[in-house]
Amino acid sequence: MTIEWGWFPDHIDEMTRLTADHLSTALSAVFFGLLIALPLAVIAHRFRPLRGFVLGLSNILYTIPSIALFVLLLPVTGLTRTTAVVGITAYTLVVLVRNTVEGLDTVPAKAREASTAMGAKPLRTLFTVELPLALPVIMAGVRVATVMSISLVSVASAIGQGGLGQLFIDGFQRDFPTLVIAGVALTLLLALVADAVLVTVQWLATPWTHKRGA
Amino acid sequence: MKKKLPMTKKLPMNRRTALTALFAGASAPLLAACSSGITSLDGDGSGGDTGSSSGGLTIGTANFTENQILGYLYAGVLKAAGIKTTVKPNLGSREIIVPALKGGDIDLLPEYQGSLLLYLDKNAKDTEAGAMQNALAAVLPASLEVLPYAIAEDRDSFAVTRETAEKYGLKTLADLTKANGKLVFGAAAEMQKRVVGVVGLKDVYGVEFKEFKALDSSGPLVKGALKKGDVDVANVFTTDVDVAANKWVVLEDPKSLVPAQHIVPLIAARKADGKVRKALARLGNVLTTSELTELNRLVDQDKKDPDRVADAWLKKNGLVSA
Amino acid sequence: MLELLKNLASWLTSGPQWSGNAGIAHRLVEHLEYSLLATLVAAAIALPIGMLIGHTGRGAFVAVNLASFGRALPTVGLVTLVFLAGGLSKWPVYISLVALAVPVIITNTYAGMAAVDPDIKDAAKGVGLRGHQVLWQVELPLALPLIMTGIRLATVQVIATATIAAYVSFGGLGRYVYDGLAQRDLVQVLGGAALVAVLAVAADLALGGVQRLLLRGRPASAR
Repeated sequence: MTIEWGWFPDHIDEMTRLTADHLSTALSAVFFGLLIALPLAVIAHRFRPLRGFVLGLSNILYTIPSIALFVLLLPVTGLTRTTAVVGITAYTLVVLVRNTVEGLDTVPAKAREASTAMGAKPLRTLFTVELPLALPVIMAGVRVATVMSISLVSVASAIGQGGLGQLFIDGFQRDFPTLVIAGVALTLLLALVADAVLVTVQWLATPWTHKRGA
Repeated sequence: MKKKLPMTKKLPMNRRTALTALFAGASAPLLAACSSGITSLDGDGSGGDTGSSSGGLTIGTANFTENQILGYLYAGVLKAAGIKTTVKPNLGSREIIVPALKGGDIDLLPEYQGSLLLYLDKNAKDTEAGAMQNALAAVLPASLEVLPYAIAEDRDSFAVTRETAEKYGLKTLADLTKANGKLVFGAAAEMQKRVVGVVGLKDVYGVEFKEFKALDSSGPLVKGALKKGDVDVANVFTTDVDVAANKWVVLEDPKSLVPAQHIVPLIAARKADGKVRKALARLGNVLTTSELTELNRLVDQDKKDPDRVADAWLKKNGLVSA
Repeated sequence: MLELLKNLASWLTSGPQWSGNAGIAHRLVEHLEYSLLATLVAAAIALPIGMLIGHTGRGAFVAVNLASFGRALPTVGLVTLVFLAGGLSKWPVYISLVALAVPVIITNTYAGMAAVDPDIKDAAKGVGLRGHQVLWQVELPLALPLIMTGIRLATVQVIATATIAAYVSFGGLGRYVYDGLAQRDLVQVLGGAALVAVLAVAADLALGGVQRLLLRGRPASAR
């Protein structure tokens, strides 16, 4: 197997375009995942009986092969990026719902009670006390979901929406490993960078977790 | 009997586009910087009487390299005619892409006359290019249209290794019956259900294989399997240079199971204005089978990019200004 | 939707659909073969590494971040790459599935061992146990629940991902998914996906049973 190194400098534009495509799909999925997971998790956290149901459902979702989910979405969302985004969003829910529920579990009852005692309405308590305190665990979920999404986008290459995964199909058909190596390497790099960015965001967003005593 | 579900007709269009719009719309501002455009927003496929390409055109291609090259050739001549184009390569098999064309996700697709006709009408009998063009016009929904076909042609063919041909005395597809129940047939998964495939080989020639192996469309899987002996009969394209390079024997087709397969643009009628027709017709009159074969070679063997190969060829032939 | 489910039911219950080389029974066996072999090989590689890191504490950073790396690795790309490098064989399938499972098992094994209370380890050494005895008699039993979690997660992932075998011409339940895509046959895709999901859930439940057997007699809090 030979790698044609000359391909890389010659295809900066294509790599940039595919990477942007890839990132756009993955981030959209995480964004919509959070939009759906947060309320779902808050409800599951409040109403215990729902908890097992919601978590169980998201666990079963995890066992469905992603390629099948994309195909099954075709009649609804067509051969578009939307299909990839909706499919990956579903997978992010598995992680995001679980971590948000667990994050809310870590909030000490005293913190909640104190907020209520000061006259805060439940919704206010949720946004000013519970969610911020749950943030570290939620963010851990966001990190996992983001990395997972970045990896999953390439599966959507089967329906032409794979971002960097398009390089896999191209390389496959043309028996050209250089393309595949470029795709794998850029996917890993993208995941690494995205994760590092999220760690930084989390660090900045939760100063109380790393404040020194002084 | 299980029934195939139509890919696009299950939901009313307004609900589908609404859903697409919800996701597309909400993510657009968020990711405007890196989004390369979500295409299903442009129109609902209900073609008016006068088409217009002013909003630009999205070209889809199937998942094999030749189709990609053709997609870029289309894009090149359209661009030269002042039309904005986006190419979406590797969308999948015809069974997946044509519904996407009906649904408005893409506007234009490089197609192959005979296969397209049999896809739309399993009982189609025409095999001659002119007659098929008329038949296609008759079976296509009003929203879709085929434009004049190109000189270039790429047929599906069935190849065996020289050893297999000698062992069983194979020259034509009819000879395959001599080895009924003994040979393994490799082709893309869709060929199992297609007339030009397992179905037609049985109905027209009486061929029965020991096994069908789902591989790819004249790609590395099917060619690798034939080389290795994992399959005995392989579906390959007549424009594939590897057939000659490996000295494979392409079985003759005396009963014309495989119809004429001129390359033909399949387009959403609402996009087919004069400019588009003219540009694609010019391309079709210049592109020959041997030149298409050479373009395939440049991409598959020399590992050149399909878009660049297409671009260079268009310039060389004066179809776009250098 | 209702029609789809009705068609799915008849797909799953038709007799001929189950028999022969392309039948469900054979595809199930193939799928199990790929998944089981890959998971076993992955466990054989990952368990010793995870245990070593957990026991010595060296390489902890790698162990913690490996799972993340494993999640990021695009399986389709890996399969394609190994196929292009080595030609048509089952190696691409096995290598990618093992690569998928190894990081999960290492990370969880390490996490399980790292969570063992240092006081307990000290106490074990205090009563005269040697290093390897501490590992086998103290650390490993205490880490078992998390180790099993890792193996269960890996198994479910491998079963769901073994559909990829069909991508490079082999069998398994992925055949229905990929062929159904190419033939635009949603019933077949749905049938394949449902069978994969059932297989994954069944495997998870079975391993859960194994886990309960292994942890029999322990207080509930230690399971």
